[in-house]
Amino acid sequence: MPEKPIPENDPVVSKSLAPHYVISMVILMATFFWAMWDEDFGQRPWKAFQHEWKDRYSTFLKSARSQSGDAQKEVEANPDYQKLKQDYDSASQNAAPRIQELREKLRDLAARILAVQDGTNHFTDRRAYVTAATYAIETETSSSSKQRMQRNLEEYKAKPSTVEMPDGKLQTFKNFGELEEAYNELKNERTQFSAELGELIKPVNEKKELMDSFLTDHMVSLTPSQLTNLQNGVEVWTPKIRQINVNEHNADIVREDSSQIVDRCESCHMGIREPVKLTAAAMSLPGKKPDVYARAFTSHPEPDLLKIHDPDKFGCTPCHQGNGRATTSVEKAHGNYEHWLWPVFPRANFEAGCQVCHSADMVVVTNDVGWVVSEGKDLFRQRGCVGCHRFEGYDKEPEDLLSVAQQIKQLDQEKKDNFKQAGDLMKQADKAESNEEANRLNDRAVALKVTNSKLDLRIVQLDRSTKSLLEDMKKVGPNLKDIRLKLNKNWIPVWLKKPSDFRATTKMPNFRLSDDQIKAISAFIWQSALKDSLHKHKLGNAAHGKELFESRGCLACHSIGEGDQLQGGTFAANLTRVGEKANYDYLVRWVHNARERTRPYCPLEKKDIGPEDYKKKGLPYVFDLEHSRCPNDGHELQVQNMTVMPSLRLSPQDAEDVASYLITLKKQDPSSYADASFMDDPNLKDEGKKWVRHFGCAGCHEISGLEEEGRIGTELTIEGSKPIERLDFALFTEIAQRGGVEPITDPEDLARLPEGPAKQPWYDQKGFFEHKLAEPNIWDKGKDKPETEKLRMPNLHLTKDQIRALTTFLLGSQENPLPPNYQYRPLDYRRDIQEGWWVVKKYNCMGCHQLIPGQKTSLMGMARYKDAQEQLPPKLLTEGARVDPEWLQRFLKNPSLSATDTNRNGVRSYLQVRMPTFSFSENELGKLVRFFQALSRQPFPYIPEEVPVLTAKETEMARSLFSSTAAPCLKCHATGDPAHDRFATAPNFLQARGRLKPDWMERWMLDPQAIAPGTSMPSGLFKRDNGHWVFSGPTPASFQGYDKDHTKLLVDYILQLTPEEQRRVGAAMGRSSAGSGSSSGSKSSGNGGRGAPE
Amino acid sequence: MDWKQLWEILSAPDNVPIIAMIPLLAFYIYLAWKQAHANDVLIEQLAGDAALAKTHHRKAWPFKPGWAKEVHVWPFLLRIEFLAAIIVTIILMVWSITLNAPLEEPANPNLTMNPAKAPWYFLGLQEMLVYFDPWIAGVVMPTLIIFGLMVIPYIDTNPLGAGYYTWKQRKFAIGTFLFGFIILWVSMIFIGTFIRGPGWQWFWPGQTWDHNRLIYEVNRDLPDLFGITSNWGKGIFGAAVVGGFFAIGGMLVHAFFRRHNAKDFKRMSLLQYSIMMTFFLTMIGLPIKMLLRLLFHIKYVWITPWFNV
Repeated sequence: MPEKPIPENDPVVSKSLAPHYVISMVILMATFFWAMWDEDFGQRPWKAFQHEWKDRYSTFLKSARSQSGDAQKEVEANPDYQKLKQDYDSASQNAAPRIQELREKLRDLAARILAVQDGTNHFTDRRAYVTAATYAIETETSSSSKQRMQRNLEEYKAKPSTVEMPDGKLQTFKNFGELEEAYNELKNERTQFSAELGELIKPVNEKKELMDSFLTDHMVSLTPSQLTNLQNGVEVWTPKIRQINVNEHNADIVREDSSQIVDRCESCHMGIREPVKLTAAAMSLPGKKPDVYARAFTSHPEPDLLKIHDPDKFGCTPCHQGNGRATTSVEKAHGNYEHWLWPVFPRANFEAGCQVCHSADMVVVTNDVGWVVSEGKDLFRQRGCVGCHRFEGYDKEPEDLLSVAQQIKQLDQEKKDNFKQAGDLMKQADKAESNEEANRLNDRAVALKVTNSKLDLRIVQLDRSTKSLLEDMKKVGPNLKDIRLKLNKNWIPVWLKKPSDFRATTKMPNFRLSDDQIKAISAFIWQSALKDSLHKHKLGNAAHGKELFESRGCLACHSIGEGDQLQGGTFAANLTRVGEKANYDYLVRWVHNARERTRPYCPLEKKDIGPEDYKKKGLPYVFDLEHSRCPNDGHELQVQNMTVMPSLRLSPQDAEDVASYLITLKKQDPSSYADASFMDDPNLKDEGKKWVRHFGCAGCHEISGLEEEGRIGTELTIEGSKPIERLDFALFTEIAQRGGVEPITDPEDLARLPEGPAKQPWYDQKGFFEHKLAEPNIWDKGKDKPETEKLRMPNLHLTKDQIRALTTFLLGSQENPLPPNYQYRPLDYRRDIQEGWWVVKKYNCMGCHQLIPGQKTSLMGMARYKDAQEQLPPKLLTEGARVDPEWLQRFLKNPSLSATDTNRNGVRSYLQVRMPTFSFSENELGKLVRFFQALSRQPFPYIPEEVPVLTAKETEMARSLFSSTAAPCLKCHATGDPAHDRFATAPNFLQARGRLKPDWMERWMLDPQAIAPGTSMPSGLFKRDNGHWVFSGPTPASFQGYDKDHTKLLVDYILQLTPEEQRRVGAAMGRSSAGSGSSSGSKSSGNGGRGAPE
Repeated sequence: MDWKQLWEILSAPDNVPIIAMIPLLAFYIYLAWKQAHANDVLIEQLAGDAALAKTHHRKAWPFKPGWAKEVHVWPFLLRIEFLAAIIVTIILMVWSITLNAPLEEPANPNLTMNPAKAPWYFLGLQEMLVYFDPWIAGVVMPTLIIFGLMVIPYIDTNPLGAGYYTWKQRKFAIGTFLFGFIILWVSMIFIGTFIRGPGWQWFWPGQTWDHNRLIYEVNRDLPDLFGITSNWGKGIFGAAVVGGFFAIGGMLVHAFFRRHNAKDFKRMSLLQYSIMMTFFLTMIGLPIKMLLRLLFHIKYVWITPWFNV
């Protein structure tokens, strides 16, 4: 580097710094302006949104107004509107002169009041002085100055005031009192005039309102004037933060640790609550694709949801998450950055927001189908996730049972101790020295005995709840204690290898077992199974069995056929290859009553009770729901198989036929399976037990010796709020953060990923859940682990949609950051609905019955019912309003409604499909009955109406209606006469009493289509006449002068109908329409396509 | 820390001061060194020419007639300082506009972040925690640092080198400062920022900060190496080693100081000298302990129930 020449003068002294200063100052000023801009716009991007909003929304409103203007003209041409308009015009004209006059007077008064009150030394001024002086006098302590001040005030009050009135004249008021009086008088006058004006204007305004509401009611969209109002609002809009302070109104109930909800989302999402429907397309610039603004300005897609969850009360983030306070960027506001723990729910999983508060609901939306989160919740139970993962609300019975058993043990012990102590006390009393002492000891002994009897009662109560719990407790998988009776031995190892190879839709997941593990596991479960023998059955008629299988409703839960051929429900197993695995004798027992157990199980002794135990006590070896006491300890036994499969009440013969059909269902012969005699090797048993325990098989199956196994998985109740650091992405942490390669390589598993192979970074809860569900052992990839430490979660072979549903469910399963009152835990009828859905879903009621409008049952789509919709099970949309809850309880307990003749439907004997016996516990029975009542908003408990006894004349009249040719009731309704009932498509009237609610029957007769669309019951049977419902057809002469509702008469008649009466009427009708029996039957089936829900 | 992670760390708003510090430090050391060198040359020249020394101006440049020997603070210094203030204001404003304060998520007492790092200016202290127990690294050492800084004016007996840069006149002072500031403080901040990853493990530049990384490393206490097991034995042994370090190190430094800094040595009182030695040896002890740990896996030298060194 060459040396710089040395300057001639001292640079420190001589060098000018002016250029440096100029440049620095220019930069400083520029920075200053940059800071100003940043403060006003850079940090406030929502302002740009609001400017765009103003432009686009007012453009939109303009075009909407011109369209709506035409519509308004059409409505205005309506004569009704014209009449309203005339009324309004005449009223307003009549009132106009007086209104004009009053307004004039008021204006004048206002000016005079103003003159009197404003200005120095006028009323307001002087009053201020007087009140201040008065206050000073009041607070003065020295009495002499008090008097002096009083005098001064009097002097002040006595001074006159001169006021210049609006007309220019000067008016003088002698003193303050006079001024005050004048002022008050003026004000009174004004009040009077205002009131008169209000009275005058009121009727005019009312007429105007009538006109306007007529207009709004008849317009499809908003009226032009409403749109104009909106537009005016938009035009004067100045950019400002729109903020919802959620806890403002209920600050007292907010926990200190819960964050206050302040949502500013609407500062950009301006259109969310606008009264017009805004789409992204409508908010786009003309001819352009929807940009970021257009997408932000759309209105909320579910306005109905907003009605229930008023944003002013709920805000936005409780449902959607995101950072409601952030306004500095879109990413920040949506919470999509690493430091915000609650990012906005992804589009595909937005329903996770429901789960946050509705975790106690099985069905989140009672009136609608297709909610992903509900599906996720359902899957979580159906697929047996609950077997390994605890989740609050799911499968509570085993835990409750344990705690009840614990209590029983404790009480038993206490009883024993008391008994012993009482005995000791009595002995002591015998030896007591004095009488008093003896009495005292005896009293104590007696008290202990009384305590014991109380304890006994408590134990009885606990036994009852044990019984309910044991009945409610179900396992997802079959009872493995029965496999020696049930299964083809050689099939077991093949099944364990990969269950979905044998049955693609099975719930049994794939555990990735090695051959050694399979051998050991199958040997263990085989050797630990019960060795009882089954009653032998001879083969039945398979063809009849097939017919029964298809018609009795098995397909509501089970499916048959594979791939495209699959038909039936997905709730239970696909039976296409059941013949390869099952024993015939076991199938017969299972079909006849799936709940029948081989041996009862005692939860207190933790063992299966056999005949030997009964014999010891000299008891007969009988166990069922009525005989459920343990011979050893006297407490409740598990006497049922823990399956949800009900009994269809088939006759033994029919059960044999169905089983005979089922064993014909196979692809290969059972004998073609490779020999698996290693399963008898006792050396494998312990190894097998280890693996069975390791994989948590007992979570879904009942296995000997492992009945009380706990869950092996992690609890998932608040899995959605687990910090991301706690989710172990193992060797893929970095890959997930960077969004590099997709770790899943198996093509089948890859196809399960809802969003396809990862491209973006997926280091979040969603990415973890989706990958885990698609390939549960993905985090073991590349890891070197011993067999026992590998991830145990099996592959559930889920579909994309199922994974999306489960992910949504898990994302929303959070430790709630919201105040507790946001949790949906109602205490009124809605609680009954909430609880009922769990039972309804548990037993797949919706496989047969429609409970939600639009919901498809498994049976609906089947070819069998295409032309015979009346053969479908009834819709239960209004069940609660229809039936007496006590009757419903009886019916659900025993749907045949008979103690002896059980091989039938109790109500709809004409249906092939069978309402099965579910053997509900008292607990679930109550929940179901309350559920149906609550669903129809019926008061509970229900107190039946008294049915008035009809007079002979009324009976005669009713009978004539009942059998009228215009409405021959008995043509379609069953009568109990087999010849007639073959063609009946509606229930027997004799069942109405005690079953149906009279007011519902009346409504039903008036308009059945409104209650059950598609029913074959005709509508329009009655018409409104003179304020009463009268029969539409020709009425007999006896109805002359009858001025009550004909419907009511008919209902009362039906409710008093006796079998004899029905037979008489039926016979009479049969005579009158002789020979029409068969033709009416064919007609009714020809009418087809119309169901008979009633 | 691979390159992507390196970029993430470099670009984090928290680390702007560190990133800026490295080139700034290099630049200012270079600048000071250049001027010190020029001054040293001039000092030598003036030492040989007493007449010139009387009139020579403040600059290291050759003598120019007419240049003032001294100039006033106002305006000649203040106008430059004011300009500097404006430029710093500009930098601060641009900085505050472009980078917001790095606010993170609400603290979760059940989940500590990994690595959990102190603010950048405390990373040196945090790094010291690796080598000493918290009592020493967190309380004793910072106290010593503060006292050591406070004591400098009282033990500095060298009258030369005030108001201008020089190396030759203040070799010991400047050398000690550079060692304490650059080697001990700045480099430990650098290590804390760029080298210490999850689990406070040592990651070389280019290595990925892997949260699952497992390493095999056994640290032993020095007494263990000598098979001393009793607590008394450990305490006495450690005291002996540390005492030995101070004794032997003291003698070495003393010999060095007397030979190369004889003038300072003569000017210092016994109290000044012993204070200086204590602080100096303690400062030297820190990197020695670091090397013992990093290279020889020695955890502590002196183990007592109350503190470990």
